[in-house]
Amino acid sequence: MAKKDEPMSEGEEETEAESISESESESQSLSGGGESKGGLEYIMSLPDVPTKLPPHMELQRTRVFCNADAPIHTDTVQYSGAFAALGEDNSFRLDHFRKNFRIEVMRYSEDDMEFDMIGIDPALANAFRRILIAEVPTMAIEKVLIANNTSVVQDEVLAHRLGLIPISVDPRLFEYADNNAPNERNTIVFKLHAHCERVKGERRRHTVKANDLKWLPNGSEFLLESGDSNSNSTSKPKTHTSFSCSQDSLPEFSNNPIGFKGKLNDIIIAKLGSGQEIELEAHAVKGIGKTHAKWSPVATTWYRMLPEVVLLEEIEDEMAEKLKSKCPVGVFDIEDIANGKKKLTVARPRACTLCRECIREGEEGEKRVSLRRVKDHFIFTIESTGALPPDVLFTEAVKILESKCERVISDLS
Amino acid sequence: MGLKQDSSEEHAKQNQDCFECWFPFYTFDNLSDPMEKWLSFGKQLPYDSGIDKQFLAAPIKSSVDKYQLVPEFLKVRGLVKQHLDSFNYFVNVGIQKIVSANDRIVSSVDPSIYIRFNSVKIGEPSIPRDGVSEKITPQLCRLSDMTVHSRKSYPKIRLEKKNVIIGRMPIMLRSCCCVLYGKDEAQLAELGDVDTGTTKKRIIIDSDKKGNINASVTSSTEERKSKTVILMEKGQMYLHLNQFVNKIPIMIVMKAMGMESDQEVVQMVGRDPRYSDLLLPSIRECAKHGVYTKQQALEHLEAKVKKSTYSGASSEKVFFLFFVRVRRDSFRAKCIYVAVMLRRMIDAYLNKDTMDDKDYVGNKRLELSGQLISLLFEDLFKSMIEEVKKRMDMNMARLSRSSRFDPLQYVHGDSISAGLERTLSTGNFNIKRFRMDRKGMTQVLARLSFIGTLGHMTRISPQFEKSRKVSGPRALQPSQWGMLCPCDTPEGEACGLVKNLALMTHVTTDEEEGPLISLCYCLGVEDLELLSGEELHTPNSFLVIFNGLILGKHQRPQRFATAMRKLRRAGKIGEFVSVFVNEKQGRVYVVPDGSGDKNCSILKTGSINKRCVYIASDGGRVCRPLVIADKGISRIKEHHMKELLDGVRTFDDFLRDGLMEYLDVNEENNALIALYEGKSTPATTHIEIEPFTILGICAGLIPFPHHNQSPRNTYQCAMGKQAMGNIAYNQLFRMDTLLYLLVYPQRPLLTTKTIELVGYDKLGAGQNATVAVMSYSGYDIEDAIVMNKSSLDRGFGRCIVLKRCSAIRQKYENNTEDRIIRPNREGDGAGRMQILDDDGIAAPGEIIRPGDIYINKETPIITRGPTVSPAGLPDRAYRPSIQTFKGPEGESCVVDKVALFNDKNNNLCIKFSIRHTRRPEVGDKFSSRHGQKGVCGTIVQQEDFPFSERGICPDLIMNPHGFPR
Amino acid sequence: MEHGSFSDNSKSTFSLTDEDHTLANAVRFTLNQDPRVSFCGYSIPHPSENRVNIRIQTTGAPAREVLKDACQDLMMMCQHVRSTFDTVVADYKTRNPSEEMDTDDSDNVG
Repeated sequence: MAKKDEPMSEGEEETEAESISESESESQSLSGGGESKGGLEYIMSLPDVPTKLPPHMELQRTRVFCNADAPIHTDTVQYSGAFAALGEDNSFRLDHFRKNFRIEVMRYSEDDMEFDMIGIDPALANAFRRILIAEVPTMAIEKVLIANNTSVVQDEVLAHRLGLIPISVDPRLFEYADNNAPNERNTIVFKLHAHCERVKGERRRHTVKANDLKWLPNGSEFLLESGDSNSNSTSKPKTHTSFSCSQDSLPEFSNNPIGFKGKLNDIIIAKLGSGQEIELEAHAVKGIGKTHAKWSPVATTWYRMLPEVVLLEEIEDEMAEKLKSKCPVGVFDIEDIANGKKKLTVARPRACTLCRECIREGEEGEKRVSLRRVKDHFIFTIESTGALPPDVLFTEAVKILESKCERVISDLS
Repeated sequence: MGLKQDSSEEHAKQNQDCFECWFPFYTFDNLSDPMEKWLSFGKQLPYDSGIDKQFLAAPIKSSVDKYQLVPEFLKVRGLVKQHLDSFNYFVNVGIQKIVSANDRIVSSVDPSIYIRFNSVKIGEPSIPRDGVSEKITPQLCRLSDMTVHSRKSYPKIRLEKKNVIIGRMPIMLRSCCCVLYGKDEAQLAELGDVDTGTTKKRIIIDSDKKGNINASVTSSTEERKSKTVILMEKGQMYLHLNQFVNKIPIMIVMKAMGMESDQEVVQMVGRDPRYSDLLLPSIRECAKHGVYTKQQALEHLEAKVKKSTYSGASSEKVFFLFFVRVRRDSFRAKCIYVAVMLRRMIDAYLNKDTMDDKDYVGNKRLELSGQLISLLFEDLFKSMIEEVKKRMDMNMARLSRSSRFDPLQYVHGDSISAGLERTLSTGNFNIKRFRMDRKGMTQVLARLSFIGTLGHMTRISPQFEKSRKVSGPRALQPSQWGMLCPCDTPEGEACGLVKNLALMTHVTTDEEEGPLISLCYCLGVEDLELLSGEELHTPNSFLVIFNGLILGKHQRPQRFATAMRKLRRAGKIGEFVSVFVNEKQGRVYVVPDGSGDKNCSILKTGSINKRCVYIASDGGRVCRPLVIADKGISRIKEHHMKELLDGVRTFDDFLRDGLMEYLDVNEENNALIALYEGKSTPATTHIEIEPFTILGICAGLIPFPHHNQSPRNTYQCAMGKQAMGNIAYNQLFRMDTLLYLLVYPQRPLLTTKTIELVGYDKLGAGQNATVAVMSYSGYDIEDAIVMNKSSLDRGFGRCIVLKRCSAIRQKYENNTEDRIIRPNREGDGAGRMQILDDDGIAAPGEIIRPGDIYINKETPIITRGPTVSPAGLPDRAYRPSIQTFKGPEGESCVVDKVALFNDKNNNLCIKFSIRHTRRPEVGDKFSSRHGQKGVCGTIVQQEDFPFSERGICPDLIMNPHGFPR
Repeated sequence: MEHGSFSDNSKSTFSLTDEDHTLANAVRFTLNQDPRVSFCGYSIPHPSENRVNIRIQTTGAPAREVLKDACQDLMMMCQHVRSTFDTVVADYKTRNPSEEMDTDDSDNVG
């Protein structure tokens, strides 16, 4: 569990707050000590006083050290005056951020992507992750009208299962339903009618899958019970939705019917025995993952800091073999050097999962290998459920954070 | 792994010529405990330079994987077979015995008229409906609140040859009378009643009682049960018997039985001067009473007899140690018995170590449902016979008989049926004939979880009250190894008293004694009556005791025991007959009576066991199968197991071929049992089949129990029964009052062998969770857990609660009847009647809210008085008696199913099953499989949850401070 | 929404409803890097309340303005992240068109 310390960023507020006060006092005491010896100016003017951070501090500032017992230097130094005594300005400069910030796409496909985000604070990376999980909206089935269900799956369970099926539709084309009547702008209606025929002397089974859900662009087909007595004369019988026009007449859907994409079609909803039947209508609305996980657009999304594996000494022959075999993900490689000797090299540091097998032997191991993480380099992975491609999801997430800021600004002024 | 196995085989090959080779295969299996093996291969696979080469090179004792025997055993015996066996024994043998023992009802007026019961037979389960008897299935009964009954009929001769029904008998499910008997699972599924175990409405408590001899002989032909106590008070010995007003000096009893000479008594007890010293006060006491002859003794005794129904009885009719048969008026056997009792008592007095351990499992007998029912039936049957006889006599005494006399008309089974049913439903066994008055003998089988049900059926409850503050009976008994589960016991007041059977335990049923006794005599047992007191106690002779009865003595006990065992292994005598040679110096069961007086102790004629050979064939002993070994080498060879796997050999074949046998607790003392074949020595006589079978069903579900702190296993045994999941294959068709089901139950990722054996992987409970161990949020103190909201959204821990409501359409004495009417769809009551169908009964699938009416019933206002035609009754003659649903506010419940049926009194009865699906909430209890329970302290959004390097997000977080150390 | 003292506008606690760590931690980050801030921190008083309190103490500037600036900074950062991301992804897609084709959009809709 300890290896996850850094990524578990929920706990980090407190450590960071502490670190701030610590570094603050540190810098004060440093500067205080300096003054007593004849003034800061004087010391700073000395030739061997660095204007930059000393290398060990720079290392501590930018790397997490993963030792066998626990990771250390896990904090990110945010306070603007943290290194003031050392002549380093830690305050925020947008141009500086712009200069250093980089993104590199590692992998991209329809439903998942991996990219590196370099030069950003964990607070922001985490904000993106959180928004992706909980606040990017999607469409999901919220209301299920069951006309007939003789299957073994109970109505509630069936409805719950339907809700969890990801619908391949761009949620940006829809509005939140809130308390409005269901219309073509906020509701998608699906119909499911599955039946397993009863054949004598045969044990039939029928599997109901997601692609059995049929899109109803004209809205609900179930009539509202109370409506039939007084609205007999009106041409259109009242149903559970009030669509003003058919959804497939809208330009967005005219030649792009709403349904399920690829493998999502094979999601099993229920299994029917002979003679069993399910007839229902499912109404999908827009929502966010915070309300219910079914609206979460991602299967999961996470980031990890770039691992850095450093060999502190030359490791040869037997020890090299041993270390190589210890690593379950194959971080190390062996290189032949002169006169039949072999040398250990770090071939794939990115693969390191921080299992710490290589440094498990106590101090000996830690002297040989140093496992580190780069604090401002995030390997970010998004696994989409299929509604939107992952890059769109990320852009949406950033937009949501922007709008949050905007809201605060407008609230304050 | 591959590496190591190769090397092992290599070693084996190299050494093949240098040691005697028994089997062609050499594997590491059973070399050590499986866990050890597992660990070792994890640690030292590539770098095992430090291993002792000598050890590796040593010949590996070849062993056979005997695991397959366990499922085979369970296939033959089943998990709860002991109940069925016991019931089947009663149905097939016991009931016939009872009836043939009391087969005649002879009129005392005219002895030439009698009724004789020829045989008894239990018919197929059925119920009379409209005069026709219909066959029924348990599922039907379950729905209609009835007990499965069968008719018992007795073909009889003498008057006519017709079957007479003498009663209706409740039938244990899956017993040989049950329709489910002999059906395979597919067939059972069609009958709508399948558990991998068995289903049963009620179980009868198995109570253990101390193995005193009196108790073990009650089932003999005599209709009585007595308790003979010899006690020692102020240095004098007395006999205490219920028939006597107060205790009788033992010497008077001896004299009454014909031992007039004091010397003879002393000789019988033993010539050691210490014995005679202790006997002296008793002899003196006897002389003080002036009793010297048999006649005087009898007169003395007669004065002491309680004046009761047996008023006219002479002392000979006082049943004293009645199980010792009196042959030709010779009391010699009884005298010897008393003498042996005296000797043991004096031994105990001289040496306290020789007292019996009353918690010793070998001294206990379990009472199973069959035995209890047979007692009950015997009592009821005799009452019926008496009743019939009385009626017959009355009828015969009447001079003018108008109709043809048919004594059979008095033979009807109402009293038996009613008696059986009453006793089973109240659980109060009050049988005067056997002086039995016990309460709570039947329990409703716990049906809230599959494991709970199985656990309930292997439970053993003690007879005495639980409040006693004693530690002795609660302690773990070494003798319960392999018989009773060491982990599974409740916490609190019943701790250690309520036990559970281990996986392979079998409980014996009674076996025919006669042939065994004559066999013993054939094998060289010298008859007791031919022995003098002197001969009785010669140092080299062993008493032979059969079911607590002294048969005689034998000069060469080991030879005798070996012969008996050989016969048993050959299948000539029953497989559950136990032969036990006790070579220890005498142990007598003496309990201080609590008065603090050291001289005053009561001897219950416990096992009289100094240098004895015990043969036991009685019911209620626990025993288990073991592999027989010759000089430490298992009789089961690889090819046997292969035959088993190929299906050409069954478990019973192993028994028949003498490869395995059943040992009871006493006989285990004569065996040296090796845990693994590899650990056997030349002295080893038996080898365990599988070590995990010492655990019971509940403890068997714990993965790696040997790595747990001991009480955790006990906690888990209690908690495993509460786990939600599946209950039975027919769970969705059941109409239980309360049913908890999990929406998505899962097979455990880590299964144990027991899990596979009991079918927990098929009818599982619980789900596999991804768990993080960390302190988080502060809402996790004191074993609370933090749960992931998204996991719950996605269906983790979702469950279904089914509750039952029922309504009866009652018929009244004036021929009126309740009616269920069409609801009015308009008007003020319409809102509450929304879920009703046109027939006035709630429709399945409707959402039911608190206050909703689920049956629109009306009751006639006048229900007594003269008969009226129900059709002509006007509407105003009825008043509404609607039934409304009372559930908690805010829960959305659904009518799951509605069942209509006729109940016992032929009223229409409607049962509604109301379903509520709920997701875990704060305060719900969760547990691992290691006795680690905790309540949900808070539910947290997924984005606030930790995630791993590979993006895995846990379902729940446990606090590391809650882990036991 | 703002709880501060009337006399001293350099110290203030802002209570944001319907927000959580997402915004608060990010804002705290930008606040911390502002040299005018002498203290900042946030807390969620109770997990069942959708509310987060942000405390700001400055060296003299009005806390409200500092918070606004911090939000502004955060927005700018987001915009930069977005634009960078979009260009990089577009770039990647043009460079690896085959990989994109890999995904099954043939049976796109059921």
